[in-house]
Amino acid sequence: MEESKALVETLFFYGFAALSLLFALGVVLIRRVMWAVLSLMSVLLISAAFYLMLGSEFLAGAQVLVYVGGIVVLIVFAVMLTGIHTDERPSFLKLFNGFLVATTFFIWSSWALWESPFFRNSNGMEQGGLSEVGEVREIGLRLMDMGSTGYILPFELISILLLAVLIGAIVIGRRSSSS
Amino acid sequence: MMIRPELAHWLILAIALFSIGLFGFLTQKSAIRMIMSLELMLNSVVLSLVALNSFQATERLDGKIFALFVIAAAAAEVVLALALFVAIYKQQGTLDVTEMRELKE
Repeated sequence: MEESKALVETLFFYGFAALSLLFALGVVLIRRVMWAVLSLMSVLLISAAFYLMLGSEFLAGAQVLVYVGGIVVLIVFAVMLTGIHTDERPSFLKLFNGFLVATTFFIWSSWALWESPFFRNSNGMEQGGLSEVGEVREIGLRLMDMGSTGYILPFELISILLLAVLIGAIVIGRRSSSS
Repeated sequence: MMIRPELAHWLILAIALFSIGLFGFLTQKSAIRMIMSLELMLNSVVLSLVALNSFQATERLDGKIFALFVIAAAAAEVVLALALFVAIYKQQGTLDVTEMRELKE
């Protein structure tokens, strides 16, 4: 029983990881913008599945609501409002430079991960897995906690940030349409 | 003999996604495509935060709460950026970042 559960988990992880990398490459390489947006949506949905595997249902839900329901729809609106449906291919030099920087970053960070102490310690470290039903309740209590470990101040700050962004977006949108 | 996904596997996946996003951010010409690559990078960072929380600090919630704040900030940033891009497109007729020189016409 335990064996088969581990097998399923492993298969799911590697399958989803391969799909996620494939779709991420689609986001940056496909020249038709709508297809790239669909790729981005797939990457974000697969990330929600990853959060479920890592045992945080609340984040998976927030990911689907905010990213897939909000950000992807916004990007679709922006693409349709601007009417740019295909991009021209960037120059070879630019592609080469980007590839060089990205590969350097990947190798460098992987090396840093390899050297870090918790990479050695993580062998045999047991994963949390799906928690009990109380996760949402715990997160809510921590967000509203006024004690030294609570997050009430960042919570209120992010509320003010969202309000400011809302007003700013309305002002920018109105000005451009009236002129 | 199966290899169970450990913390390092998750982090390598996050690094790979971030690298792809970085590549896209550096090579795209359209500003909307750059924002999409930026979303990829933010998403990979959130993934690494959740993985670290789930493996290294199982009984705590700080990583997940940080991830929530990152998601909220990303949403705010995208809303403002896309509103600006649509306004700039109406004014200048292009979103090519290699051709945009100034914000006024």
